Amino acid sequence: MTAAAPPIARRGLFGEGVRRHLITFYALLALAYLMLPVVIVILFSFNDKNGKFNFVWNGFTLHYWKKAFGVPGLFDAFLTSLRIALISSFVATILGTLIALALIRYRYRGRAATNIFIFLPMATPEVVMGSSLLALFLTFKIQTGFVTIVIAHILFIISFVVVTVKARLAGFDRHLEEAAMDLYADEWTTFRKVTLPMIMPGVFAAFLLGFALSFDDFIITNFNSGQVVTFPLYIWGAARVGVPPQVNVFATALFVIAVGLMGLSVWTQRRRS
Amino acid sequence: MTAATLNRSEKAAAAERRRRRVPYLLLLPGGLWLIFFYILPMLQLAGTSLKDGSFAGGYHFSWEISNYGAGFTEFSSQFVRSITYAGLATLITFAIAYPLAYFIAFRGGRYKNLLLVLVIMPFLFPFLLRTLAWKIILADDGFVVDSLKAIGLVSHNGRVLATGTAVVAGIAYNFLPFMTLPLYVSLEKIDHSMVEAASDLYANPRTAFRRVTFPLSMPGVVAGTLLTLIPAAGDYVNAQLLGTPQQSMIGNVIQSRFLLVLDYPVAAALSFTLMLAILAMIIPYIRFTGTEDLVA
Amino acid sequence: MITRSAEAGLAAVTGEPSAVELVGVTKRFGDTLAVDSIDLAVDENRFFALLGPSGCGKTTTLRMIGGFEEPTEGTIRLHGEDVTGRKPYERPVNTVFQSYALFPHLSIFENVAFGLRRKKVGDDDVKRRVGQTLELVQLTGMEKRRPSQLSGGQQQRIALARALINHPRVLLLDEPLGALDLKLRKEMQIELKRIQHEVGITFVHVTHDQEEAMTMADSIAVMNEGHIERIGSPHEIYEDPQSAFVAAFLGSSNMADAVVVDASSGEVSMGGCRVHVGPGRLPSGVSSVRIGVRPEKLAVHHPGEATDANTLTGTVTDVSFIGVSTQYLIQTDLGTSMAAVQQNTGAPGFVPGERVTLSWAPEHTFVVR
Repeated sequence: MTAAAPPIARRGLFGEGVRRHLITFYALLALAYLMLPVVIVILFSFNDKNGKFNFVWNGFTLHYWKKAFGVPGLFDAFLTSLRIALISSFVATILGTLIALALIRYRYRGRAATNIFIFLPMATPEVVMGSSLLALFLTFKIQTGFVTIVIAHILFIISFVVVTVKARLAGFDRHLEEAAMDLYADEWTTFRKVTLPMIMPGVFAAFLLGFALSFDDFIITNFNSGQVVTFPLYIWGAARVGVPPQVNVFATALFVIAVGLMGLSVWTQRRRS
Repeated sequence: MTAATLNRSEKAAAAERRRRRVPYLLLLPGGLWLIFFYILPMLQLAGTSLKDGSFAGGYHFSWEISNYGAGFTEFSSQFVRSITYAGLATLITFAIAYPLAYFIAFRGGRYKNLLLVLVIMPFLFPFLLRTLAWKIILADDGFVVDSLKAIGLVSHNGRVLATGTAVVAGIAYNFLPFMTLPLYVSLEKIDHSMVEAASDLYANPRTAFRRVTFPLSMPGVVAGTLLTLIPAAGDYVNAQLLGTPQQSMIGNVIQSRFLLVLDYPVAAALSFTLMLAILAMIIPYIRFTGTEDLVA
Repeated sequence: MITRSAEAGLAAVTGEPSAVELVGVTKRFGDTLAVDSIDLAVDENRFFALLGPSGCGKTTTLRMIGGFEEPTEGTIRLHGEDVTGRKPYERPVNTVFQSYALFPHLSIFENVAFGLRRKKVGDDDVKRRVGQTLELVQLTGMEKRRPSQLSGGQQQRIALARALINHPRVLLLDEPLGALDLKLRKEMQIELKRIQHEVGITFVHVTHDQEEAMTMADSIAVMNEGHIERIGSPHEIYEDPQSAFVAAFLGSSNMADAVVVDASSGEVSMGGCRVHVGPGRLPSGVSSVRIGVRPEKLAVHHPGEATDANTLTGTVTDVSFIGVSTQYLIQTDLGTSMAAVQQNTGAPGFVPGERVTLSWAPEHTFVVR
């Protein structure tokens, strides 16, 4: 009996098999493309650079890792960014979660309007948001600095929190709260013992997202920072005169920690189920 | 109705009123924040755009529409460039992100979450550093540019850095996850049995994709496009780091008008023109693709 | 329309308050009338079923008893106490939800103990009672698991345990068996009945499955479009539906219009054919009625061999062998089509085209409004 290849797969220029592998190849290429700049920055933290700029590879060294804290102002900027991110994400998560609860659980007049209202900041270019906030602070004679940065960050994070928590809340079984009330829990106890624990994963995810967005923010911060220097602002300022490799060192360290934490959470989740 | 039932229905009505207030109470803190720090500044910006004067002499509200005129005369090239760069970058990002998202959604299997993590991971790295890395990648005597010269895409004494190409490449790179994730979410939701139904009804894989998969992924396409196009149009970082003043985008202009030249009225007018231009692009886009409910 | 069962009337006479009493309860959602002024009394220790099609208002009624909806009008009493305005956590009833509503973030132990914890029961007592209740539902040993690790049937039993452990005076069940497969459902029906007997409390069970209601309940209230069509024991409401809706909803019936010939002796004429209904069963003062007879009450004979008082001749048009029985469709000589079901006793059946005589006893004819 002669084995005939399935005729459909042979039709056209690319057979079914080639097409499958093409997509895989393409996807892997895309992933490599995504990681390339990251790899380069990590690599160049070990670069024994020649001169002010860190753009040409000159040899491997651990010098900058050893002298990580040797650049004045860099570590402070890093800490400032951490503080801002923690505070603004925390506040934005609370405000945003409350809004998400209102949107999902209640049918009220103006619900559609609220949705658009929340969407607006996400649809606004950062230049416009940053500059309008600056104008506001100038008008009310508020000194730009740490507080104004936090205010600005909270603003743009809220929308992302609402979207994230809304997505998680959507599958929430309304009967769970009724069951709690049926079992003698009043409204506040129900919220504490049932609603809150159940939305926690979504709320936490929103917090992490807000943290990342705040830490990495440049444009809005640039407009409202006054004299305060955040980590991205430091990089921007240094870009003109040469970014010290210690910046790469800090970024790499933070990256490794973040990846490690993610891996840990995935691993514990895998363990629990 | 007896007196007792009357009292009870009064209490019930009062409780009902209290219950109806709850959503508004929940919205209050966040809503107030948005009103004070978004709506109010926006209104103020609108007002500023109609003023004239200078930083030294002070600004006076005078319905100065000529500020908007500046957008169309002095800075028209930057506007056009912004739309062009952002549009091109969005297309490129789409071309890269769609197959990637398709791969993860349809072929990812057990590794779906891992692959998503890989897509998000670069975002844990400072955006400015990643953009600066492109300076290294696209360096004049680097591997990439040399290869491009070898195949003839770049002329022998040409550069990639400090040209529009570099800026577009930078923008396209930066917003890749913003395009990929919504696409993935949309594609992942597609019920595979629909694709199977299509092939049961004599559609080959190409047709099944064109007529079933792609239309069903439209919400993701729209979301991803918007999340990319809107920030890209107002970006100035890529233009500043990877280009020269020849490549400056409207974001650069707004930034310099605001922070350097201190010409607030014109900067405000330009900001609003940018926003209106964006709205003018996305509203028909949303209508056309029929995904109004994405926003609401 | 009968709205109170004889038993409820008896309770009122003896002075014992009903376990659950609804008086003139109405529920409106905006313009929609979900429940239309119903009166209901459920006695102690009864397994009571609220039966009806989707949208008839049975779930809304149950939710009003549980406190999850407030009646637009009317009063709800539990053991004589007016609970109409009270929240669910203020009522001595517990509910088993259709989706079970087990708390996914808590262990089985904490799920079952939830109500006890709210009542500040001591740890030792909690432990003891959880153990007892899990034994009652035959799920001992599951304490440390999470709801997602249990099968549908197990989850359902945990939901039951979680409610029962609080010793409610009335247990409300909202279509709890709907998500189970057939075999499991039948097992659970027997289980629930056993538990109800063992624990000795009132069960109010909502279902759209008439077979389920008939199997489990002592009393059934059939609801339709917001009102109660009939209350009674399964036997009562099946054999004497009294309303066309109940006749159609419970099992199947052959219905026909007939003209009253003699009200006192109970004779009507169905298209020229004389049908005996029996004395005292026809309402007075009407000239035409609608009568019905259940397919299993119709005996199919060879022509001339009829045994009962009412007879009708016809031709077999369809035969369906269902295993335990055979269903015949007969085109009567009056021009109507009737269904008859014969148990498979092994005796030879009939074939399509064959001439037969249907016969049935007068008392098996029921009259509907």
